[in-house]
Amino acid sequence: MHDFFELPIFGVFLTLLVFYIAQGIRTKIKSPLLNPVLVAITLIVLVLVVFDIDFSDYNKGGQFLSFFLGPSIVALGVLFFEKFKEVKSNLFPFLFAVLIGGVVSIVSVSLIAIFLNVPDLVVKSIVSKSVTTPIAIEITKITGGIPSITAGVVIAVGIFGNAFGPSILKVLGIISKTALGTALGTAAHGIGTARALEEGKLTGTYSGLAMCVNGLLTATVAPYFVVWILKIFV
Amino acid sequence: MLKGLFFIFLFLILGEFLKYIFNIPIAGNIIGMILIFSALKLKLIKLESVKPAADKLIQYMVLFFVPYGVGMMVYFDVIKAHWFPILTATVISTIVTLYVTALVQQKLERDA
Repeated sequence: MHDFFELPIFGVFLTLLVFYIAQGIRTKIKSPLLNPVLVAITLIVLVLVVFDIDFSDYNKGGQFLSFFLGPSIVALGVLFFEKFKEVKSNLFPFLFAVLIGGVVSIVSVSLIAIFLNVPDLVVKSIVSKSVTTPIAIEITKITGGIPSITAGVVIAVGIFGNAFGPSILKVLGIISKTALGTALGTAAHGIGTARALEEGKLTGTYSGLAMCVNGLLTATVAPYFVVWILKIFV
Repeated sequence: MLKGLFFIFLFLILGEFLKYIFNIPIAGNIIGMILIFSALKLKLIKLESVKPAADKLIQYMVLFFVPYGVGMMVYFDVIKAHWFPILTATVISTIVTLYVTALVQQKLERDA
């Protein structure tokens, strides 16, 4: 069977099949924990473990799908251009908030992780935890961490922001709908943006744009920062 | 759609090329994202010609990172050994990031 699982069509087909099922579950039951990506990953891992299939065999096909992350990031530039016009009037508060939030994310996650004695390799893998998965993966390739750990942590952060973000911010006294959007996009990328869109179109726009800006900011800053902070504190 | 895909791949390869030539420590696709934004801003390309392809790619982006997520299984031991600090650091940092971002924007919006 090993030869069969090695065929690229196996990984591609399994991913499409499971993703299709996961999306079906999502339309039936609305819960952030049933996020299609999370369900799809869990089901595929189960299939691979049960049938004793190596990840490297699965990834012979999987990599054909991952390849499209590259053009998807370029496509985010188009989205960014489209949304940019809509926040022009509020540009300074928006950009300043994303800048501060993005830096706070990078600094806080690495400091807490270092303080809790996490190995360097893991710190390098989670420093980009707030930005959209494809950009986070690229950042981890540059910092020298493990991209798969990044993918897992980033998806978990998104689900956390999606599920609890709005209620946490409400308790903490945030009433501005645009500020809510910016916060969700900055801290919890695309999965947080999905929740922002449920709160309203304007909230969703701010969130989508915040995701793009923070992706760019973190990609530029994080690789240097993580090297520097590991030098000082470790 | 095909025209849009052509432009997206054009800016992607331009980004990768610039990274390669000038040894820029930023991913080529992120450089491509900046380039396509600039090209739209400078009206070198039209939004209508790239939007259909860009929307489709973004719509299916979640599917494209599933294989990376599955790759976590290879690092099960690393995650198992450090799950608690990873969870603590990311949860606290995410709450702080959400709050600081929202607070800064809310304050500045009001003062404006």
